[in-house]
Amino acid sequence: MKYVRMGVALAVAALLVLAVPLVAGCGGDEESTTDASPTPKEISITDDAGNEITLEQPAERVVSLAPSTTEDMFAIGAGGKLVGVSDFCDYPEEALEIEKVGGFADPNSEKIVSLDPDLVLATVGVQDEVVQQLKDLNVPVCVLDPTTIDGVFTDLEKLGLLVGTEDEAKAVVADLKAAVDEIRSAVADVDKPTVFFEIYSKPLMTAGKNSIIDDIVTQAGGVNIGSASGEGYGEFSEEVLIKDDPDVYIAVKGSQDDPGDIVKRPGYDALSAVQNGTVYVIDDNLVTRSGPRVVEGLREVAMMLHPEAFETSQ
Amino acid sequence: MTKWLGKGRKVYFLLALAFLVLSFFICVTLGPTSISFSEVISYLGEGASTDDPSGTIFWQIRLPRVIIAFLVGGCLSVAGVILQGLLLNPLTDPYVTGVSSGAALGAAIGIVTHIPQVPWLPALALVGGMLTLIIVYSFARRRGKLNIFIMLLAGVTISQLLSAVIAVLMLKAGRDVHQLLYWLLGSFSGRSWPEVQIALFAVPFFVVPFFYARELNIMLQGEQRALELGVDVERVKKILLADAAILTAIAVSVSGIIGFIGLVMPHLARLVIGPDHRKVLALSLIFGAAVMALSDLVARTIIAPSELPVGIVTTFFGAPLFVYLLRSRRRF
Repeated sequence: MKYVRMGVALAVAALLVLAVPLVAGCGGDEESTTDASPTPKEISITDDAGNEITLEQPAERVVSLAPSTTEDMFAIGAGGKLVGVSDFCDYPEEALEIEKVGGFADPNSEKIVSLDPDLVLATVGVQDEVVQQLKDLNVPVCVLDPTTIDGVFTDLEKLGLLVGTEDEAKAVVADLKAAVDEIRSAVADVDKPTVFFEIYSKPLMTAGKNSIIDDIVTQAGGVNIGSASGEGYGEFSEEVLIKDDPDVYIAVKGSQDDPGDIVKRPGYDALSAVQNGTVYVIDDNLVTRSGPRVVEGLREVAMMLHPEAFETSQ
Repeated sequence: MTKWLGKGRKVYFLLALAFLVLSFFICVTLGPTSISFSEVISYLGEGASTDDPSGTIFWQIRLPRVIIAFLVGGCLSVAGVILQGLLLNPLTDPYVTGVSSGAALGAAIGIVTHIPQVPWLPALALVGGMLTLIIVYSFARRRGKLNIFIMLLAGVTISQLLSAVIAVLMLKAGRDVHQLLYWLLGSFSGRSWPEVQIALFAVPFFVVPFFYARELNIMLQGEQRALELGVDVERVKKILLADAAILTAIAVSVSGIIGFIGLVMPHLARLVIGPDHRKVLALSLIFGAAVMALSDLVARTIIAPSELPVGIVTTFFGAPLFVYLLRSRRRF
C-alpha cells in the first residue's frame, strides 16, 4: 500500500519536475516553415510543437501560460492584447496587472476559456494536457518553446505575425540580433573558459545540451561542462564537477543567492573558480526564460566569462 | 566474543565482515572519477589536508558518502529485524510505523521554507518522525498495553495522511520540488561530514536490540507464551519499537526514504544464519551497510556524470531479490 501511495506521490512529483525545466524551455523544434498564406489575410505558422496554426485575422485577445511568452508579447509591443497570464508572469511590471489563469503546470482551463481568447500561448511538456483540451474547444494554441537564442528570435517574429505586430517584432529582433552580434564579436578571439552552470543545489543540477543555457554559455564564448550530462536539465555528480574543475562557476538566483554560500560547500575549496574568485550568481529569469531577455542574460554571462573583453568595448 | 555464534556460524560472520571491508574499498575506489586503490591508501594515510582534486573528491565527497550509506543501511536493516520480529510479519519494513512519513513531512517543511540544510533539515525530520511515533503510540495504547496491530493500522493511516500533506507541499514547492523528489526517492547526493555526524547518533541504537535478542526469540512464539516464560513483554515492545523508530527517523533524516533495504536484508540474514535474533541482527547490520553502499555506488556511477536517487537502485535489485527469497521457501 505504501508503494502505491509513493507511486502517486512520485507521479505528481515527476510531472512537476518536468515543469521547472520547461519554464526554461527545453525540447521543441526550431523549424520555421512559415507557409505562404493561401489567402492574403489568413495567417499561418508552424509552432515549436510542429503544429500548424491558422488565424483568420491577427489575434486580439491573447492568454499567455508562460513567463517567457508573456515577455515576448510585451517585447513586440503586443502586451496590451494580453487578457490572461500565468501566476508566474511577473515581467514587465504591467504583466502583474493582468488577470491570472493559474500556475504553470496547472493552469485553469475554465478560467482560460471564460476570458474568450482568440490565441493561447503555451510551452511543451507539462502543458500538453491543457493545450489539447483547449484545442478540442477550438481555441487556437501556439506552443513556443525555443532552446536557442536564435530560436527565441524566430519565435518573436512568428508571434508578431499572429498578433499583427509583425513590423515591430522584426525591428525588435533586428536590435536584439545586433546586440548578440556585438557580444559574439567581443568574445570571438579569446580563449574559451570552461563553465559550470548550477540550476539547483540539492541535488546539484545543471543545464545540458538542447537547453537555452547551453546556447547562452556557448555564444558567450564558454564551454559548458554540463553538456556532458545529456539533454535538457539534469543532476550532475559533484565528483565530476571537482574533477572537471570549471574556470567559472555560475549559479542561478533561487538556487543560491549568495556566492559565499557556494564557496563554503564541502570540497568546493578545491575548485579553481572558488580559488580565483570566479563564482557568480545570475538572475535566473534572464537565462531560464526563453524570452527576449536572454540577450541580457547572454551579455551578463559573457561579462562573467570575459571581463577583459568588455572593459575596452564599453 | 564470538562464542555465542557456535562453530559453524563463525565462518559466515568472517565472510560477512570480509564482504563489508571489501565493499568499503570498492565504494571508495570506484566512482564517476577514477581513484586508484593505491591512491586511496595514500589519501587515508595523508589525512584530509591534501590539495589535489582527487584527494578532495575522496575526503570531502566519496568517503563521507560511503560512511553515511553504511550507517543508513545499518539503521534500516536493524529496524527491519526489530519490527519483523515484534509484528511477527515478514512483510514489515521500517516504514510501517509511519515514522518515515513524519520525518519526510518535517524535511519537506524544512525544504519549502528554506531553513539552513545542516543541521536543521535533519533535525526537523527527526522531530517529525518522533512526533508521529508519539501519535501512533498513543493510539495503540489500550489499558496499559500496546496493541501492535492497532499500532500498525494507525501507522499506515497516519502515514497516508502525512503523504497527502507532503503532496500538497510538493505542488506548491516550485523549483524546490527537485529536492523534495530526491528526498522521497532517497538519495545520498551532496551529503558530507555534517550529515555523517548526525547519522553517527544511530550507533548506540544499533547496540540496544542485541540486549533484547533473547526476548525477541521467545516472543516469536507469541506474546502469551512469552509472558508465561517470564518476559516483560510490554517493556520489551516499548523499548524496541522506540529503538526502531529512532533508527528509522535518523536514516530518513539524512538520506530520505530508501526502500527495500529494511525489508530484504533481515530475510537475507535469516536465510544465511537461521532465526536466532542475535545473529540475524548482526548479519543484517553488516549486509544492510554493505548493500546500501554498493547501491549508492551504482547510483552515482551508472549514468555519470548524472546521478540516480539511490532508492531507485535499491528497489531495482531489492524487489527481484525479495521475490526470489519468497520462492526459495525457507523459514522466515
